[in-house]
Amino acid sequence: MDSTPTFTATKLGNSTAAASESHGRIRMRDFAIVAAQLILVLLLLRQFQIESPAFRILAMLAFAGFAVHSFLPLPARLPFFTALSLISIPLTLGLANGAWLIGIGFVLIAACHLPLSFRIRGLILLGLGVLLITQRATLLPTPWSEAIWPILGAMFMFRLIAYFYDLRHDKTPVTPAQSASYFFMLPNACFPLLPVIDFKTYRRSHYSGDAYLTYQKGVDWIVRGIVHLILYRYFYYHVTLAPSEVTGPAQFLQYVVANFMLYLRVSGLFHLIVGIVHLFGFNLPETHNRYLLAASFTDFWRRINIYWKDFMQKIFYFPAVFALKRFGTNNAIIIATLYVFLLTWLLHSYQWFWLRGTWLLAWHDMLFWAVLGVLVVANSLYEIKHGRSRSLSKKKKSWQSTALTIAKTYATFWFIAILWSFWTSESIVDWLALWSAWTGSYTAEALLFPLLSLLVIVLGSLSLPETATATMAAKGHRPWALDRAITIALALGLVLISMEGVHTRVSNEFGNLVSSLRSAHLSRLDNAKLERGYYEGLLSVDRFNSQLWEVYSKKPANWLDVENAGLKRFVDNFAQNELIPSFVSTTKYGTVSTNRWGMRDQDYTQARPADTLRAAVLGPSTVMGWGVGDGATFEALLEERLGREPVSSAFKHVELLNMGVPGYQPPQQLVAFDNVLDLQPNAILYVAAGREISRSADYLAEAVEKRLPIPYPALAAIVDQSGASAGMEKAEALKLLKPYGAAILQAVYGEIAGRSAELGIRPVWVFLPQVRGGSWQEETPETVRIARDAGFAVINLADVYQGHDIDTLRLAEWDDHPNELGHQLVADALYRALQKDPAILFGSTAATK
Amino acid sequence: MTDTLTQAIKDFIMEEFLPGEDPDELTTTTPLISGGILDSIATLKLVMFMEEKYSVNFEPHEVDKEHLDNLESIVKLVLSKNPTGA
Repeated sequence: MDSTPTFTATKLGNSTAAASESHGRIRMRDFAIVAAQLILVLLLLRQFQIESPAFRILAMLAFAGFAVHSFLPLPARLPFFTALSLISIPLTLGLANGAWLIGIGFVLIAACHLPLSFRIRGLILLGLGVLLITQRATLLPTPWSEAIWPILGAMFMFRLIAYFYDLRHDKTPVTPAQSASYFFMLPNACFPLLPVIDFKTYRRSHYSGDAYLTYQKGVDWIVRGIVHLILYRYFYYHVTLAPSEVTGPAQFLQYVVANFMLYLRVSGLFHLIVGIVHLFGFNLPETHNRYLLAASFTDFWRRINIYWKDFMQKIFYFPAVFALKRFGTNNAIIIATLYVFLLTWLLHSYQWFWLRGTWLLAWHDMLFWAVLGVLVVANSLYEIKHGRSRSLSKKKKSWQSTALTIAKTYATFWFIAILWSFWTSESIVDWLALWSAWTGSYTAEALLFPLLSLLVIVLGSLSLPETATATMAAKGHRPWALDRAITIALALGLVLISMEGVHTRVSNEFGNLVSSLRSAHLSRLDNAKLERGYYEGLLSVDRFNSQLWEVYSKKPANWLDVENAGLKRFVDNFAQNELIPSFVSTTKYGTVSTNRWGMRDQDYTQARPADTLRAAVLGPSTVMGWGVGDGATFEALLEERLGREPVSSAFKHVELLNMGVPGYQPPQQLVAFDNVLDLQPNAILYVAAGREISRSADYLAEAVEKRLPIPYPALAAIVDQSGASAGMEKAEALKLLKPYGAAILQAVYGEIAGRSAELGIRPVWVFLPQVRGGSWQEETPETVRIARDAGFAVINLADVYQGHDIDTLRLAEWDDHPNELGHQLVADALYRALQKDPAILFGSTAATK
Repeated sequence: MTDTLTQAIKDFIMEEFLPGEDPDELTTTTPLISGGILDSIATLKLVMFMEEKYSVNFEPHEVDKEHLDNLESIVKLVLSKNPTGA
């Protein structure tokens, strides 16, 4: 069980406690100290753009509310906090959604208090739960927006269980303010992940200690949370690696540590949330108590999320042990522990459902909880047999016992970090493929993370008492003044280095580093995932720590469900899939239909009509027109305009054949090119949309893994040369093929341009940038060069979106495909390029209008 | 009666969880759960001991800080179930 230190018995603490303990009062001087620190916190939130703008508004509301709240009579404080919490909901979700959420919440709370038996009320709650589940799964329509589900889920999915349990067992009357503030608790409106605060603890902790010390603890935790979040950004932006980048032991260790450190996001947010709740007098337990310094698996489980551990212990573990105790205490403990871990796995899926609307059931997820469960059982049995170190007072540590603690902590850290990498990997196979890195070259860099982690653990272990002590709980870990000094120094230091005039003076490198930490954005890896994300299931996105997850969590479950309606079909060739011919579906964005040839286009005769420029437009989803209706794709708009306002007299008619297929990578365009030859094009418009080089390597690695026949000799030769062999895991094959990315693209472009020239087809290459800038741009110059060298005429539309706000051009925050305006801009830009130089597509006999 | 009961429970805690510690430091108000002396396993061991020794039955919801955080509240709970404390 974790200790819950209360801060008393220090010089200043005593004097303050004497003044305010029983009435929750705070002296003006103490209030000024807290208020000054909160102003510093606001500065920090602003300087580092912590979380969303909505959260920063809520933080201001909370801090201003704190100022009023501290001087209210004690009985008025909880109703005031309730009102503040309720106001925060429409402020964040909008009036209509906020009203719906509050309404649904009150219905659920009211159901708990119906004058019926506990069993009947339980059945009613179950019925309401099933109704909401069917609505969340979109089986029933709802009059409210999808945006409220994650927040409604966060408020009620677990807390309702804890609340109902306490209604049965805790006979202390519940007031409406206690109920409402418990569920609608500020700042929940901004966070879909919240500690599962126990209702009994919540009620009992309200001004259970000295008011000033409770507030001060809140400030300490808020600052600590901000530090966690900034550290998280450092790891997220600068240290994380993609599995394909894990090529040696140094990268393996970096991958494992960085992956685990992403959890700092959750621990940071939990500190922030619990810290804010402290400002309203709730003296709650410490969250994520130095979890990186856990010295055993049970210790880790106790520390990492004490709220979750307490919830599971109270609702499931103790009842299970009591029910099983006739089999012997040890047996009951073993079975109940395994039962708790099984439920933890299932409840994560349940949580996922409320956040995303789909169930999360992955093998490695289950295995992770199973392994952790078995480890905790083994550790518990050891503790039952040998006990663990406890003390009533602080004792001097011997160097031997300190060394043993450090060794145990170090081993626990690395074991958990490796287990964590397993949990967050996309699949078991991908995780196993990481281990091949140990056959890579051993460099001194491999020592970096083992030594760094050892240093942190040594420093952390030396600053902590070795054993749990009862006096530690009563007196706090450190002197009061030292705690204040740490909080203020951290906050002031961070504010200082966040100032441009300060961090740019140190060095350019440091300036860039601080600058990157000052804003929340997607890392280079997540940006790449988001670009690919249209074709992937959400399972491939880190589940509990990534900002990409957050972006995706806003995505409706049925977002552009045209894919599920059967837009594509599998085919037995190198491309693996293609659009289904004569398909029609109606989406929120209009009709999506294909012609008899399987193109998202109007119908065309097989033979090219006389006096017609027939250009096949090859490309991925942007060409196909993902997220816009028929007729609104840039291809359709351009074709219509070239017909209406010709730029060349070389041909009487212009036909543009939309050969775009969502998810097609450059090597797959070879198949699209082969297919379109039957329709006798006399020009090809190959549309490249960024990351052509890396995607080429990626697709070939996929082909290797799936043992696809590679009917293009140049590509097959590159695979042989790289050492990749059919059936190899994709991550492993990608490591081998990545250095050949440019060569693969040269082969693809060479094949298309070369054969076009042989067949009298004019090859034109169009560079179409992504709506959002990013690291994909690094590949652009080389990609353009490869296209030119291959023999394409190049139209570069790099600045097509310039001057436009990204939000006016893309479909949604989670989907960067261009919307109708984006397609219109592309069509206009292409038209202008052709108007300027018609020969590029129509040949040298063209005459411009 | 209360003193005997307190002493018996204190002896159990000292022997099981705090061997070698000074018994005088364990007072009736020393925080046991919030002080890290009783974790979930230790709490269950204590509960099983009391159930057996004093022929009482605890409920799962009673295994918490409110009822078991110090000797005083533990004794109070046992006496509420078995007023003779024997």
